[in-house]
Amino acid sequence: MQQQPQAQPTPKPKKKIRVPRVVNGVEQMVEIEVDEDTGPGWGPNDKHKLLNHRITRVDGPLKATGVARYTYDQRLPGMLYARVLRCPHGHARVTKIDRDAASKISGVKAIIPAPLSELRFAGAPVAAVAATTPEIAGDALRAIKVTYEVLPHVVHAHHAIRPDAPKVIAEENNLQDKGKNGDPQKAEAAFATADAVVEGEYMTSRIHHACLETHGMVVDYRGGDSATIYASTQGTFTIHDDAAKELGLPASAVTTTVEHMGGGFGSKFGLGLEGMLACRLSKQTKSPVKLMFTRYDEFVMAGNRSGSWQKLKAGVKKDGTIIALQARQYRLGGLGPGSQAGQPYIYRMGDTYREVFALHTNEDSSVAMRAPGHPQASFAVETLVDELAYKIRMDPVAFRKKNLRDEVYHRQLDRGAKEIGWSRRNPIAGGNPGPLKRGIGCAVGTWGGGGNNQCKVDVTISRDGAVVVAIGTQDLGTGTRTYTRAIVAEELGLGMKDVKEQIGNSRLGAANASGGSTTSPSVAPAVKDAAIKARMLMAERVAPLIGNPKPDEILFSGGNVSAKGQTVTWKQAAATLPAAGITAHGQWRSDLQARGVHGVCFAEVEVDVETGHIKPIKMVHIQDCGLPLNRLAMESQINGGMIQSLGMALWEGRVMDAKLGMQLNPGFGDYKLPGTLEMPELVPLIDDDDKREAVIGMSEG
Amino acid sequence: KVVLDVNGQQREAQVEPRTTLLNTLRNHLEPAVTGPKLVCDVGTCGACTVLIDGKPVYSCLVLAVDATKKKITTVEGLGTPENPNAVQAAFVENDALMCGFCTPGFVTTISAYLKKNPNPSLAEVKEACKGNFCRCGTYPRVFEAALAAAKG
Repeated sequence: MQQQPQAQPTPKPKKKIRVPRVVNGVEQMVEIEVDEDTGPGWGPNDKHKLLNHRITRVDGPLKATGVARYTYDQRLPGMLYARVLRCPHGHARVTKIDRDAASKISGVKAIIPAPLSELRFAGAPVAAVAATTPEIAGDALRAIKVTYEVLPHVVHAHHAIRPDAPKVIAEENNLQDKGKNGDPQKAEAAFATADAVVEGEYMTSRIHHACLETHGMVVDYRGGDSATIYASTQGTFTIHDDAAKELGLPASAVTTTVEHMGGGFGSKFGLGLEGMLACRLSKQTKSPVKLMFTRYDEFVMAGNRSGSWQKLKAGVKKDGTIIALQARQYRLGGLGPGSQAGQPYIYRMGDTYREVFALHTNEDSSVAMRAPGHPQASFAVETLVDELAYKIRMDPVAFRKKNLRDEVYHRQLDRGAKEIGWSRRNPIAGGNPGPLKRGIGCAVGTWGGGGNNQCKVDVTISRDGAVVVAIGTQDLGTGTRTYTRAIVAEELGLGMKDVKEQIGNSRLGAANASGGSTTSPSVAPAVKDAAIKARMLMAERVAPLIGNPKPDEILFSGGNVSAKGQTVTWKQAAATLPAAGITAHGQWRSDLQARGVHGVCFAEVEVDVETGHIKPIKMVHIQDCGLPLNRLAMESQINGGMIQSLGMALWEGRVMDAKLGMQLNPGFGDYKLPGTLEMPELVPLIDDDDKREAVIGMSEG
Repeated sequence: KVVLDVNGQQREAQVEPRTTLLNTLRNHLEPAVTGPKLVCDVGTCGACTVLIDGKPVYSCLVLAVDATKKKITTVEGLGTPENPNAVQAAFVENDALMCGFCTPGFVTTISAYLKKNPNPSLAEVKEACKGNFCRCGTYPRVFEAALAAAKG
């Protein structure tokens, strides 16, 4: 991972522009030189008025008082409640659905079959019902009689890999070759020259996103020529095309809205089977239909993080140089291909050879989840790295630095070691007396976080001074609303309260879906571009009021507009606008974003070696992200990452019954989420040594 | 037909006897009271927490017919965006919310707890809201918000 994302081989033509900068404590317009095809940049990360500060969320008061209206909170006149009947077998075909008894229940309005001929996992949808209350919809599910042809299933990776295992997909082998990389002979030869060799097998469980707001939507279609869909989604623009097909409408007749959203973590894109069923029920009944998954539904078919099974063998020299790695990596994605970053992940390990496979089981397909594939690879390789360090009696931090090329990791490791108190660590594993042992460990990770060119932003300034920034993007709890507003407020020299944002509607300007940490590096540059253009439009209008300076000599600061010693207030400036106000259109600028982030996490834990119980004591995480748009929200995102990884490492995991083919823990009573009592001390640190003046995605934050 | 005292108002609804207080608030009152969230529906997550006569309860585990003649307070009854209570204000100030779906439950639980124990320790705060789950990972800031609200 290189620090500078874009190499610049030939110098581009330059132009001179003026931008607002603080010089000797005074904000003024200063001349700088930039590439001809760009415009003003973000400026130094430590010179912002609002960005890179601690900004409280603009939707915080609504959320803290219960006023924020989520998809799950929508209730429309005449709305029906839908539920989904699910297959109780790991693998089956439906031979008959008897709806007679169910359809006679008072309040049941529609029963439709799900569009699957073969049900390949327990929990696959069989039918859907719409009724006047959710309770009656539940009655209907219990009254539907389904006859199944039960087929053989396999739900455990160790069983699925056997040659005689039942086939998950008839036409395919359970084991799918996903590619090889490197030279096995060279790696084998290198092992012979190693001072120590470690071999290990590593497994990670299938983890559930467990979004507190379950998947689902409200389809508001009453038989007319248009429809509105309230969706709990990470992609405002990923719904209407498919919904329109289901409803028999042109795509342009369907509007999607996502005002507030109760968590996604990678699992909520597109219409989905639930949306398809909701559309069909709405079309059939000509009534609004609300189909929100139950918690059980959410566990069995709303997606999960791919499990992993990895066999690693590595050789190391006494001086700490890792010289060879062989890796066999199975991606456990159920029906899907799964995901897992290739080994040796971020390390240099000399002669490496890896084989990657997808291993299918009768479980719903895994989907993206916070840095898909990375924690699985990181868990295995970091455990291996610790074992190698221990074998040659080298300090694990020094050992990592020896085998990591990128010096950003080196500085982050040094800082983390200092923050956690690495020097307190007993280098002898289990060296403390008594059954309660203390240990400190660390791990390193990376992600992309670059943006893409999809966003269209409007900044409108009214003659009364009101400012609205509009883009159809969505706020998953990542703070999109807040930084969208802050970017515009800062550019126009206003406060947070002086700008309003409109988001979460497919009638607004295009925006990318929030996947792969691409939101902020896609949205923020387009917002900045629109804000700069709005400032320049405003400058042209106001110039005659303040002695006709050039537009880029005019300073917007502190609610005032000034140049050449003359000042008017924002309101006075806005009064020069035409009746309809002015609107500036912004689009993405590649030079305002970058990709490539680094993170290092340290954890101190207490292990009861008699019971195996692990108690986390303290965690420290250092993360870079270029320009932190909002430090408060970014720290919260880092906390969230630490807490979710704690769950992943220590408590969470889907448990499948081999015989029944069903999940045994599809609820919060049995699937152990991190709770308040397990919380260690958490220290989220932003790596301000990262001087990149660019927005880089970090969990969409 | 049930008559419920919700946030100081007498509210009527036509529900089956099996309908939970949570579903009655959300699906049957007009206008709806949607601050309490439906997340697990079986009393494991705390997102539906309301106060009944000042005590926090999971409204998914209470039938509406059992909640008549009692004072029901939801997160909406504790404060408004313009005039939040101390806990709500501290949640915003300390960024104790991300997606916000668990927030009404935490705010309600902590608001009730601080009345009982106006000067809690960190350990007591953790204990007080152990029946509430958050997935985004706001816990440390929830604790900070609770302690800040207690200090006033």
